[in-house]
Amino acid sequence: MIVGIKDTSRLAAIAVMAFCAVFVCTMFLNYNIDIGAVSSEITSPEAKALYSAMLSCSKMACSLSGGCLAITSAVMLLFYVKHYVTLRKRELGILKALGYTDLQASMSFGIFGISVLAGAAAGFCAAYAVMPLFYKTQNKDGLLPDIDIDFHPSLLLYLVILPGIFFAALSVFSASRMLKKPVISLLKDTLQTNGKIKKLRESSSAELSFTAELRKSNLKTKKALVFFMVFSSFCFSAMTQMSFSMNELSSFLMGAIIMLIGVTLACTTLILASSAAVGGNTKTIAMMKAFGYSDKECRTALLDGYRPWSYAGFALGTGYQYLLLKIAVNIVFKDVENIPDYKFDLAAAIVSLAAFAVLYELAIYICAKRIERVSVKEIMLE
Amino acid sequence: MIDIVNASKFYGTGQSRFQALKSVSLKLKKGGFYVVTGASGSGKSTLLNIASGLERPDDGNIIYSETDIAGLTDKELTQFRRKHTGFIFQQYYLLPNLNVDKNVKMGADLAGNKNYREVIKAVGLEDKLQKYPGELSGGQQQRVSIARALAKKPEILFLDEPTGALDEQTGRQILDYISTLQREYGFTVVMVTHNLNIAQMADTVVKMNSGKITEIYSNSEKKTAYEIGW
Repeated sequence: MIVGIKDTSRLAAIAVMAFCAVFVCTMFLNYNIDIGAVSSEITSPEAKALYSAMLSCSKMACSLSGGCLAITSAVMLLFYVKHYVTLRKRELGILKALGYTDLQASMSFGIFGISVLAGAAAGFCAAYAVMPLFYKTQNKDGLLPDIDIDFHPSLLLYLVILPGIFFAALSVFSASRMLKKPVISLLKDTLQTNGKIKKLRESSSAELSFTAELRKSNLKTKKALVFFMVFSSFCFSAMTQMSFSMNELSSFLMGAIIMLIGVTLACTTLILASSAAVGGNTKTIAMMKAFGYSDKECRTALLDGYRPWSYAGFALGTGYQYLLLKIAVNIVFKDVENIPDYKFDLAAAIVSLAAFAVLYELAIYICAKRIERVSVKEIMLE
Repeated sequence: MIDIVNASKFYGTGQSRFQALKSVSLKLKKGGFYVVTGASGSGKSTLLNIASGLERPDDGNIIYSETDIAGLTDKELTQFRRKHTGFIFQQYYLLPNLNVDKNVKMGADLAGNKNYREVIKAVGLEDKLQKYPGELSGGQQQRVSIARALAKKPEILFLDEPTGALDEQTGRQILDYISTLQREYGFTVVMVTHNLNIAQMADTVVKMNSGKITEIYSNSEKKTAYEIGW
């Protein structure tokens, strides 16, 4: 088997992503279904306004969080599949040489769906565990009738089982597409396509130092890592700042949940991206060291290029959360009383930025230590 | 230039521990062309690794210009390699996302060598500057790795089986480039190979077996890359 069950443990980031997406969606969708069942009991104008605002808010939370996290999980899965195809290209090449079709050679990648299934199942269970508190918080003013928590099997199907199957199929088909190459290019160490070379050629420029060239080519060829760096800072920025506002606009529980999800997602993706930035370059690092490049020069070439993208992601997240809350307060909750006007929280933005800077620089420091540990023996082992 | 004194090297732990080098001593003189030969597992690559500062011996000394590089820290060893050595490996290890020009620049930047394109010209790749490793043949890739190593103006060039992955014709061409460039630039060559025929190109041949040097001899008459057998 090219990819085994133990390899799925490396996909913890996808499991965390699936956990967060399903946790948020289960809570809000379950609430929507349950509140819909008592809609006929809601008669007063204030309660009706709150009811429709709650529905809109739930739909927005589900589509934004769920959609965004599902897309990111898919991107992350494709990243891992590509990583494993590159890592195991010789074994896959041998299978193809023996007569296996691309699809047959890729079947073992279906096991990656287990990570999504495990994360989604855990998120589903966690959502039901937190639900009593969530329902209470949603109706803290007592305007809406009491709602009982019901279990809805359709949510289990749509949020846990089908995504697990979909992601397993996505892994197999994407691996199969990546294997549509001549056997010899898999057996030899050349997975560089003409298209990739063309893109690199278009981007080649005048005189830059070697480390600057390497930094530039890394950003060009490792777009998934750039995406994860931006996504990580975006999540951290948007969700930590939003959680401060939620304390005031909604409840402490909502604020805490959003903060927890934001920090977890940010840390997971940041660790994934930064370790991939080092792990995918061990031979380059070893070669640079053999030639006499210092650890600092290796770090500059391989990691420093991501910093501007990370802080740009932070700025994007700040703008996103501001617009989202402004829309929520001014449009969705416009008919609901006692909702304070929302203004940009500069203090929260500064605290969030400082916390992110510490987190980011800590991740880079850990990666720098990993670079120091890369031995020149890496290039003597083959 | 390099004085290897009673160098020993062990690998593995417990029952799998074995001695790859057994108290080896060897003097490498400036400007010499040394070929180290021996069967697989004879310790020739280990000797090259410790002589070049890629690894430290577990015992013994590696004296380079009155400095024992066996006692240097990792950072000091990196500085040593930066200033003095060049490497050519069997697998080339070119960076796939950088073109020929930028790959050679990897070596040139370390020596502040602005005229590195002369070395690319010297290995006959001046028309391939914008090509990427994936677009080159094995022989051309090895020529890029030669240019990369020489662009940093090394005092000693270490080569580990440089023709191991090449066919006869390309292998001879690569060896010819190395010996021609050595005469032109004057650096010392230490080449590890299992191909005994290549030894006929060397000033000095070092034969190894089971972690020991079994024979050292000088060639009274050196042959060119096109005169040796294969």
